[in-house]
Amino acid sequence: MPPALISPSENDYILRGVDSNIRADGRGRLDYRQIILETGLITQASGSARCRLGEGTDVLVGIKVELGAVELDGADEDVAAIKAKRGRVVCNVECSPIASQQFAGRGADDFNNELTQMLDRVLNGPQGGLNLEKLCIIPGQQCWIVYIDAIVLDYAGNILDTIFMATRAALYNTKIPKTIIQDRGDGEIEFDISDDEEEWERIEGWDKVPVAITLNKIGSRHIVDATPLEELTTEAKLLVTVNKDGKVCGLQKSGGGSINPSLLNDMVQTGRSLGQSLIQSLDEMLQREENDINLKRARKERIEKLGFFAAI
Amino acid sequence: MAGDRRRIQGPEVTVAPIIIKSSDKGKIQLTDANGQRRDGRNLEDIRPIFLKTGLISQANGSAYIELRRTKIACGVYGPRQTKIPSFSGKGNLNCEIKFTPFSCLKRRQPYRDAQEKELSQLVFEALAPSIRLDLLPKSTIDIYISVLENDGMASCFAAAITCASVAVADAGIEMLDQVAACSASYIDGDIYMDSDLVEEQRESGSLVLSYMPSLNEVTHILQSGEVEVSLTTQAIEQCTDTCSKIYSVMNHSLLESVKNRIQ
Repeated sequence: MPPALISPSENDYILRGVDSNIRADGRGRLDYRQIILETGLITQASGSARCRLGEGTDVLVGIKVELGAVELDGADEDVAAIKAKRGRVVCNVECSPIASQQFAGRGADDFNNELTQMLDRVLNGPQGGLNLEKLCIIPGQQCWIVYIDAIVLDYAGNILDTIFMATRAALYNTKIPKTIIQDRGDGEIEFDISDDEEEWERIEGWDKVPVAITLNKIGSRHIVDATPLEELTTEAKLLVTVNKDGKVCGLQKSGGGSINPSLLNDMVQTGRSLGQSLIQSLDEMLQREENDINLKRARKERIEKLGFFAAI
Repeated sequence: MAGDRRRIQGPEVTVAPIIIKSSDKGKIQLTDANGQRRDGRNLEDIRPIFLKTGLISQANGSAYIELRRTKIACGVYGPRQTKIPSFSGKGNLNCEIKFTPFSCLKRRQPYRDAQEKELSQLVFEALAPSIRLDLLPKSTIDIYISVLENDGMASCFAAAITCASVAVADAGIEMLDQVAACSASYIDGDIYMDSDLVEEQRESGSLVLSYMPSLNEVTHILQSGEVEVSLTTQAIEQCTDTCSKIYSVMNHSLLESVKNRIQ
């Protein structure tokens, strides 16, 4: 996406830095910037999370669950029968113009579309981890539709990894109201949605939602969590999505370069091991935040969110 | 009389269609006892390919590919002067893939939708490493791909890349190598090469790989579904092998077109 230019000397500086395993900000090839993650910032949303990488990239994800009709597909019986018993996930990514002047107007359309499709491909399917059957209320009729909207507030490289991290945290934070189903006889089924704010369920399978690791091929080596300048030097990117079991849930190359098959295998392996440890630390972060809130609630202290002032 | 008469007045409530499950039809078996697929192929076989260049007379280069029910035409225009030039030492490559409204199970809208935009971007990423854009500053190459019939999205996407690569070569644009692409489906732990729509609907994941056989470089990879790393590695290997086979078909068709031109 970044159409800005890079000079040959800057290019060379980055290339040599990557070669000797030290980058401009002092990180090694496979080091991430510091991750700040906070959930539950938006009260209007069913779930929300904000993820910030270092002092740069900033993504806010809001999730709304709404009632809707199940998807009916009459083309193939087997496929239609499965779809009739499922809820749905709808993804949308938007790069806000406040992140960069380039995103103003229609400038971000193609980039938004690319990110949306990437997120959608991973989350909409068995590899997404979410238990879509649980989102169905009445088979063949009503289900919950999970709308995932990601807003990019600040852009400093590695946007996709941040979107996935924030999405995962927001799904953890999402509260779905309980439904009470009543069978009226003669095949008529009615349901009520609980008004009680305390009666809610978490989306089943949020922990199985994969994270994404973008590996940037620079020279004959690869780095993670690239800054915008490093992204300009990148020949080809490989997106590896991994779930907590270490299974690969998606691979996608982007960018204008090509990759040797042996390097490709190497990159998949690296992405996989990094992804697993990333999930572990993210889960710890979420757990810590939840414990903190529970502790404060027990002590009847005020629960204050860091909100949008959270920065190092 | 409420409402606007100029609009189509539909019924106020909608009723879901009743899906009647016929018992005699039963489940579709993807493979028979001998391990052969519904059309007699083995798991690692691809469908026969028909590939021909020079289909569109007005284009600088064109190609048509057919894999049984998948049919794709591609036209290449250029290199020509970029209309609104922005500073860049390289040429522009513009790829557009379009599904004809009647190509899929459901009717597609005639205007470009989000999926077509994304696939166009992916075709660009798969082809860009092979084309010597550095030799064509201030120029644009336009690649237009029309999917006439779509029998499985992954295989269709792979065929589109193969077809576009041949069309670019047919246009006489300098390239590093041809890009061959093929797809694979993961079904019950097996790898089905070049799956069709019925197989695709039953898959747990898929892989599309585009590859430059002479240079031994992967130009694009797209995998979805939850898969073990070892199986992915195996599928990548099978796909690169298959791409080499497709490569010979591509070379053959280009050779034929050159022969025809000389005569």
